[in-house]
Amino acid sequence: MKHKSSTLWFTAPACALAMQVWAHDPSEHIKKEPRDPDCSAMQEMDHSHMDSDDPVMQAMMQKCMPHTTKESDPKMKEELHNDAAGEHAHPSADSLRR
Amino acid sequence: MTRHLCTLSVLALLAVASVAVFVMSGRYPVGADVSHWQVTHWLLESLRERSIAHAAARIHVPPLDAPDMLLSGGADYNDMCAACHLRPGEDSTDLKIGLYPSPPELTASARSNVDEQEQSRRQFWIIKHGIKASGMPAWGKTHDDQRIWAMVAFLKRLPELTPTQYQIITARGKAQAEPDCHQRS
Repeated sequence: MKHKSSTLWFTAPACALAMQVWAHDPSEHIKKEPRDPDCSAMQEMDHSHMDSDDPVMQAMMQKCMPHTTKESDPKMKEELHNDAAGEHAHPSADSLRR
Repeated sequence: MTRHLCTLSVLALLAVASVAVFVMSGRYPVGADVSHWQVTHWLLESLRERSIAHAAARIHVPPLDAPDMLLSGGADYNDMCAACHLRPGEDSTDLKIGLYPSPPELTASARSNVDEQEQSRRQFWIIKHGIKASGMPAWGKTHDDQRIWAMVAFLKRLPELTPTQYQIITARGKAQAEPDCHQRS
């Protein structure tokens, strides 16, 4: 009985420590700066021929849409520039409406 | 009857002794640069395929079409799998050349007679549990089922991806939204 309780005192903390080693966060895979996608090819694609139901296309749009939308829209680009320069606190509501 | 039993017992003991002598002699080549004998190769392949089919038979396959799954699974594939199983446009890598058995090219299309659901169950099981003495790790020890299913979802699409599509989907970074307005020539 004494042996059992002393074994428990030893194994319980060991188990608690072992439980820390489990599924890890994806960020642990990042050994260096995460690679950004090169979305330049998306801008050249004819979007009218794309299958919007295709999960591959949806995944690519999800990855690149912030990049392609802002770079290809001259008005949006100007708004971003002005934001960066600090001339406007927020872009106007009209310019964001598409 | 007794004589037959004795004969069989002696033969069985001789067979076991022969195997033991062969194993302890160290004569069988275990280098990854020397292929198995044909019969050994057939035995191991058959054992592996039957074992996986049996173990994966009851796995329920969830929907695998969500774009988020492709993005998660793609990034993990690029980090953990591509060095052995290749990227679109790649013919080989040092790891693929050096490993025996050679890792299957997951960028190639699956055989047309393979059921998709069965293929997904099989891939999930292999990724989660690995394969003994093959170089294929058991990723289930460090990745939960959701992440593994995301990798399976990505593997379904991998054969159809171009190198451009692959680099977009597998990038962990975010697309740069702010143009650099301050570059001056």
